[in-house]
Amino acid sequence: MSAIILRNLVKRYEADMAVHDINLNVEAGEFVVLLGPSGCGKTTTLRMVAGLEDVSEGEIYIGGELANDLAPKDRGIAMVFQNYALYPHMTVRQNMEFALRPLRLDRAEVNRRITETAEILGLDEYLARRPSQLSGGQRQRVAMGRAMVRTPEVFLFDEPLSNLDAKLRTKVRWEIGYLHRRLGMTTLYVTHDQTEAMTLADKIVIMRQGRIEQVGTPEEVFVRPRNTFVATFIGTPAMNLVPAVSADANLHAKDFSLPMPQKFRNHVPEGLEVLIGIRPSNINLADSGPANVFAASVRGIEYLGTDALLDLRVGSEELVAEIPAILRPEVDAQIHVSFDMQSLQLFDAKTGQSLESI
Amino acid sequence: MLKPATSEKLLCTVLIAIALAVFLVPIFIVAVSSVKPTPIMFQKPPSFVFEPTADHYINLFTARPFAKFIWNSLLVACGSTAFSLTFGTLAAYAISRIRHRRIKDLAFWILSMRMFPPIAVIVPYYILFKTAGILDTPLALIIVYSTVNIPLTTWLMKGFFDEVPAALEEAAAVDGHGLLATFFWITLPLVAPGLAVSAVFCFIFSWNEFIFALMLTGSEAQTATVAVMSFWSSDAVQWGRIMAGSFIIVIPGVVFVLTCQRWLVRGLTMGSVR
Amino acid sequence: MAYGRTRNRKIFLIFLVPAIAVLFLTTIYPMIYAGYLSFRSYDLAKPFVPRVFVGWANYREILTSSEFMHTLIVTFKLMVITLSVQLVLGVGIGVLTAQRLPGMALVRTLLLIPMMISPVIVGLIWLFLYFPELGYLNYFLSLVSISAVPWITSTTWAIWAIAIADIWQWTPFVMMGTAAAIHSLSPEPYEAAMIDGNSRWQIFWHVTIPQIKPVLISLMFLRAIDAFKLYDIIFVLTKGGPGDATEVLSMFIYRQSFTFWRMGVGAAASFVSLAIVVVLITFFFKSLNRSQERI
Repeated sequence: MSAIILRNLVKRYEADMAVHDINLNVEAGEFVVLLGPSGCGKTTTLRMVAGLEDVSEGEIYIGGELANDLAPKDRGIAMVFQNYALYPHMTVRQNMEFALRPLRLDRAEVNRRITETAEILGLDEYLARRPSQLSGGQRQRVAMGRAMVRTPEVFLFDEPLSNLDAKLRTKVRWEIGYLHRRLGMTTLYVTHDQTEAMTLADKIVIMRQGRIEQVGTPEEVFVRPRNTFVATFIGTPAMNLVPAVSADANLHAKDFSLPMPQKFRNHVPEGLEVLIGIRPSNINLADSGPANVFAASVRGIEYLGTDALLDLRVGSEELVAEIPAILRPEVDAQIHVSFDMQSLQLFDAKTGQSLESI
Repeated sequence: MLKPATSEKLLCTVLIAIALAVFLVPIFIVAVSSVKPTPIMFQKPPSFVFEPTADHYINLFTARPFAKFIWNSLLVACGSTAFSLTFGTLAAYAISRIRHRRIKDLAFWILSMRMFPPIAVIVPYYILFKTAGILDTPLALIIVYSTVNIPLTTWLMKGFFDEVPAALEEAAAVDGHGLLATFFWITLPLVAPGLAVSAVFCFIFSWNEFIFALMLTGSEAQTATVAVMSFWSSDAVQWGRIMAGSFIIVIPGVVFVLTCQRWLVRGLTMGSVR
Repeated sequence: MAYGRTRNRKIFLIFLVPAIAVLFLTTIYPMIYAGYLSFRSYDLAKPFVPRVFVGWANYREILTSSEFMHTLIVTFKLMVITLSVQLVLGVGIGVLTAQRLPGMALVRTLLLIPMMISPVIVGLIWLFLYFPELGYLNYFLSLVSISAVPWITSTTWAIWAIAIADIWQWTPFVMMGTAAAIHSLSPEPYEAAMIDGNSRWQIFWHVTIPQIKPVLISLMFLRAIDAFKLYDIIFVLTKGGPGDATEVLSMFIYRQSFTFWRMGVGAAASFVSLAIVVVLITFFFKSLNRSQERI
């Protein structure tokens, strides 16, 4: 199994930069997800790895070999496309056979691999069918099967779940995770859906406007976002950002003040304009009285079943809180809230960069 | 769309019936006249109840070697179709896939080649083929018809190639296939309907063509259209044979319309309508 | 395919070469040859006169001859007659048959048949119908008390005889284009117009026609270009006569080249014809671009 290395990768379309200077290492057997909003360059990056787009600058190494000028067929990769790209005039079996043809295997080996793959994916009954006779979920599995039979060194996925309905998406997500644990193939996976990224990835690469914003495990990007973009992009509902100024070991927002959390105390200078990041789930209902409890009014409620979202005003600050649904207060009620100080994030208001342990 | 009132519906039906009559009766007359005995050919009012005769068809094939002329027509039509389809399809694929800002100009140039009045280039052809020694051979007509059929095929097939999703070819590339394997195994099978329609268009054009066949062939490579026209000689017009020959020539076109009408629109309007 | 690597580009070029080579040989070369001829005195009727360079003499001759001017007038007259009738009839029948009613698809199909018939056969069919004394057409007309028309023997009627045959063959073309264009329209403007309470005629005139206009313009240019290729029907029906009443440009070229054997003059006339067609083709491509952008 081999790794992918992207070094100073650039993609230019005439004057437009689609990808700026990407550096990334994918270890052997690792599941890496490229995550970002549409137009962030994640698909372009994937297509450069596949050899479907020319590289403008920089290098791509696959399995230690410089791959810039290799044709897609010589890169030892397999890819699952967004619309599956199944050959409509071929049966499921023929789709897999066609993918195996360049490997020049003998007949017995071809049949063995197809049988094995079909078994893993539960496609045995459908081998004689054409793509048009399959459901969306089955097509998706055929697309994976066609990639798997080739036992490639690297697996590429381009938004493979975006054409499935919500229920099926969860199921196939589990299946992809299971297959990766079982087969351990190096995987590069593109999506705009953070749930897919959080559940599947060993390592998430968050991209915006052709640049990498942060690389880290799902936990790292959620708990220690490197900047406000990552902070607000990961997690639903999005993190609250409250402007404040640091002074006297306190954070002074417009209408309330908080003590500076311990971990920031030593390196956040006096008078710095910051953004306090508070996840909705870190806002708790509290009794009035003790320190750091704030009066809030409830402007609206969204009931979600287990939880409920509150649209709060603390002074003039708008905050979204996520609380257990059974605690649901009335609209227009006056309540008190406290913040989980351990999980507060601080960002430099000018640069948007995290102030955590520079 | 709009739901018409009953009176309007009736008017529509009547108008459509008139249109059908105007456009189909002349063809019907050819069919009937081809089996009508000569004495009552021009009887007024036209009789439709008579003992049909095969005389005109028998005359057609015995008095002149009409079978040979049909064979020539078939040979030329099939030859030109094969020739034009091969080259036109390859060119169409290249034009559809090359990303270059001038490629559209090239496509238009190719298309414009089929629009020039043939009469303007007949003399050069005549001299050229005479020099090459292929005057009065099917080959001459196959070459000439390619001036119409290659542009037609190129233009039609480009539309079909444009509609093949890029992801399919990319999937084949990632699966380890080169451009040629991808073209032959993935792309070509997917545009099979386009190939069929282009083939039929090429065939019908070549089968129907008259001026070039008249000017560039003699007794050897004469095609059916020229032969039928030759029954229209100044001394005696042999209407029975003309009608019989005409009916035979009309048949492929009618069969084509009835089987492929879905694709006709695209071929005939050169992509003005999709 | 974005992976247009050098190797692929080479293959694409190899794909292009045969078609372009054939077209060059079969179209560009003959045109250049015709151009060469048009500047020579090339008279097959006088085999012993040397074929010399005569400059613009052939062009001067045709452009100043009243015969050629007459030819151009006949060509354009025929074009205007056939195009306008085909447009009106074709759009009318197209709108009628575009309705989504049972059986309409079959009607549209049947109406396409005339287009697929060899033009020379179309000529023969109409010759049969027009034939002096014998033809059925005058008999049919007499049923509705119209006196016999000397279709192909009169200098006034011959052009109409040709026009009718051409209209018969090509009205289905406009009909087909109209129906297809209407089918490609989105239903929303119609629904909006109906809710606004417009009459069917208003909707046709202000909603349908403006939307299919670009397609109609393209179709008309195609027909105009084809008008310069019109030859077979005239060859069968009148051979340009009676006299020179129906001598269109293509017939003039034919007669100069193959009746009088004046190849140089024929070639010069060919070039005038090509020049006109080039202008029409340019307009056609402009309109095609526009109609494709719209869709």
